[in-house]
Amino acid sequence: MFPVINTDYCKGCNLCVEVCPKAVFVQGKNITSRGYFSPVVVYKERCTDYSLKKGERILCEICWLTCPEHAIEYEVE
Amino acid sequence: MEFFEFYRKDRWPHQFCPGCGLGTIMNTMYKAFNDLKMDINKTVFVSGIGCTGRVPGYINADSVHTTHGRALAFATGIKLARPDLNVIVISGDGDLFAIGGNHIIHAARRNIDIKVIAVNNATYGLTGGQLAPTTPYNMITTTSPYGNREYPFALADLVAAAGANYVARWTTAHPNQLVNSLKQAFTTRGFSFVEVVSQCPVNFGRRNKMGDPVFHLRWIKEHAIPISKVSFDVKTPYEILDLNTKGIYIIGELVRRNRPVYGEALSEEEEESVPME
Amino acid sequence: MLTPGRYFLSGNVATAEAALLAGCRFYAGYPITPSSELMEHMSGRIENEGGVFIQTEDEISAIAAVIGAAMTGTKSMTATSGPGFSLMQENLGYAAMTETPIVIVDVMRGGPSTGQVTVVAQGDVLQARFGSHGDYETIVLAPNSVQELFDLTIKAFNLSIMFRNPVILLSDAELAHMTEKITVPEKIDLVGFNDIEIEGIPKFTPLGIGGKLAITGLTHNEKGYPITTDVQVHRKLVTRIVNKITKNEPIISDVEIINPEADTLIVSYGISSRAAYPVIKKHKDVGLFRPRTLWPFPESKFKEITKNKRIIVVEMNLRGYGLEVERVGRKYGAKDFEYINLIGGEVPKPYQIEEVL
Repeated sequence: MFPVINTDYCKGCNLCVEVCPKAVFVQGKNITSRGYFSPVVVYKERCTDYSLKKGERILCEICWLTCPEHAIEYEVE
Repeated sequence: MEFFEFYRKDRWPHQFCPGCGLGTIMNTMYKAFNDLKMDINKTVFVSGIGCTGRVPGYINADSVHTTHGRALAFATGIKLARPDLNVIVISGDGDLFAIGGNHIIHAARRNIDIKVIAVNNATYGLTGGQLAPTTPYNMITTTSPYGNREYPFALADLVAAAGANYVARWTTAHPNQLVNSLKQAFTTRGFSFVEVVSQCPVNFGRRNKMGDPVFHLRWIKEHAIPISKVSFDVKTPYEILDLNTKGIYIIGELVRRNRPVYGEALSEEEEESVPME
Repeated sequence: MLTPGRYFLSGNVATAEAALLAGCRFYAGYPITPSSELMEHMSGRIENEGGVFIQTEDEISAIAAVIGAAMTGTKSMTATSGPGFSLMQENLGYAAMTETPIVIVDVMRGGPSTGQVTVVAQGDVLQARFGSHGDYETIVLAPNSVQELFDLTIKAFNLSIMFRNPVILLSDAELAHMTEKITVPEKIDLVGFNDIEIEGIPKFTPLGIGGKLAITGLTHNEKGYPITTDVQVHRKLVTRIVNKITKNEPIISDVEIINPEADTLIVSYGISSRAAYPVIKKHKDVGLFRPRTLWPFPESKFKEITKNKRIIVVEMNLRGYGLEVERVGRKYGAKDFEYINLIGGEVPKPYQIEEVL
C-alpha cells in the first residue's frame, strides 16, 4: 500500500512531508491545476515498512490523519 | 460510514487556509465518530463564530452556527429539550473563552451532558489575527504589534476547576492520541472537554516567523509536554500558568471523574421532591 | 393545567398559565423585577406538565437556550424586563434570521438603564421593533388587562409558529402585579408546526430527526450554506423574512376600535388605554383606536378611520408609538396630533385626556 495525493484537493501545505515517519513524501516543484505546489510521493516502498507487530505490514495512516484537505488516499501495489 | 457521508461533498474542498489545523481535527473527528459507530441522525453540532465555527457547516448532520460566544447556551437549550440527542460543541478559543467565558464555566459547573471540542490557535484567526486570551506573552498579533502584554488562560485547567467530568488537551501534532481522547469524551456522561492546540500559520504563525505550516506545527510539537513528563503536581495552577505564559502546553488527559450530571437523579430520595403549586 | 372556568389571578401568573395551556414546555430565564414571579411560577408548574425549566446565568444565555430548544420543535419562552431585553437583542435578530419561533414577555419598567425597578412604563415599544441590527421584523402584542394577557399569550405562541418569527408580548409592572378575574374558555385554538401554509414561509423541520439542517446566522441560501458575498442571495433571503410579516399585516393585526366616526380619536395601548374608556363614555365625539398588535403597525385598519381626525396619542414614554402614529396618520389625511406622554410611573387618568379635548 502506498499513499496517493489527489491534486484537486491538495493545497501544498507540506504537512505530510513533515509528519511521515518514513519520509515517503518530498516537497514538489510542479504546480497543480488549482495553483498549488503539491508534494510528490517519492519513496512509496518505505510506506508500510512501518510494522507495529513483527512480520505484519500495516499503514500508520498519519499522513491521512494529518492532511487537512483529505487529499490522501491509499492504493495497493 | 464513508468520509464523504460524514462530510458534505458538495462543499469540498473547504475554505480553510493551506496547512490549517482544522483540517486535521476534522479527520480525527470523523475517525472517532466512525470507530464508535455513533448515529449521525441523533447528533447535533453547535458552533460559534470563528474559523472553527465554520466546521459544523461541513458536516452532513444537523448543525447550528450561532452568535459569537453563545454556542454553549444554545447547546444547553437543545440538550435540555431533547436529552436523547448527542450535542457536540465545536468552537474556538476566542469564541468559547473570551466572549463566551461565562457560558462555558457555567456549563462545566452544571456538568451538563455536552461534549466540547475547543480549538486553541492562540489568536482570533478569522478576523485577521488579533490577540486572544490564549496568546502567549510577548507574541506579535495585529492588536499587539509590540508584543502581547497579557497573560493567557490555561483553558483545560479552567474547565477542570469548574467541574467537568472529562478534560484533555492535545495538539494537531498528536492525531492518534486525539482520536482516542475524542472517543473517550464522546462516551463519557457529563461535561467533556477536549482542547486541541492547533496551528494558524496564515494569521498567527506568519506574524511570528512561523508562516510555513510546517514550522508552526513543529513549534507546537516542541512546546507540548506530555503529562507524564511533568515534574510537579498538575493540579497546582501556578506552575501551569507560568508555562502557559511562555506558550508551553501540558498535553494529556487532565481529568477523568464521575461527578453527578445535570438533570440526572442523584438518588432515589432526591427524585421525589415536590414542587410548589 | 387550568381547566375552563373563572379564576382570580395576577398578571404574571396568568401569563405563565396561559403559556402552559398554549403548549409551552421549555422555559429558560433570568430573574429581573418585575418579571421574576412569572419565572418562579413557571419553575414548578412546567415540570408538572412534563416540561423543562432552567434558570440560566444571564439573559443572553436565557434567550439562547430558548432558541436552541425551539429549534427542536418545543414551544419555548422567556420573560424579562427592559435591561434584560436590551441584552437579548443580538440573539433576537438571530431568531429572526433563522426563522425560529420564540415568545419573549417583556414586563416593562421605568428606564433607561436600571431606571425605576418596580414602576410601570411603556418605554420598550420602539426597542421591541427596532432593537436589533439589520432588517428584520417582530410581532409585538400589547394587552391592557389580565384577561388580555392570558388571551394574547396564547395568540403569541400561535403567531410565532405560523410566521416562524419571534413574538414579543409587552406586559408592564402594573399589569403583571394586578389581580383581576379571568375566564379560561372551553376551547382554545392552538396552531401547531406546519399546520397553516403561508406563502414565503418554508416548512419547519426540527433538529434531531435526521433532517441534516444547516442553520446559521450568516446570509445563506436555501440549503443553509453561508454565502455572504452574493447580492441576490442576501436580497432574496432578507426581503422574504421581512415581507412575510409586512405583507401579512392585515391578518396579523388585531385592534379595538370604538366610535370610529368621532372627530377625535384616542390612540393608546396597554395600561394607558384604560384611561380612555371613561372619556369615551362621557364624550360622544371621541373615539378609540387601540392596537392589540403594536407591530407590524395596523396600517390596514388605521387608514380606514384616520381621515380628517384629531388624534390624541396617550402613552407612558417620552417618544414612542406616537412617531409611527403620526407618520401613518399624515399619510392618510389626519388633521391634527396631540401627545400625552407621561413618564415616572404615573398611569394616565381620564381627566388628563379630557383636559386636552
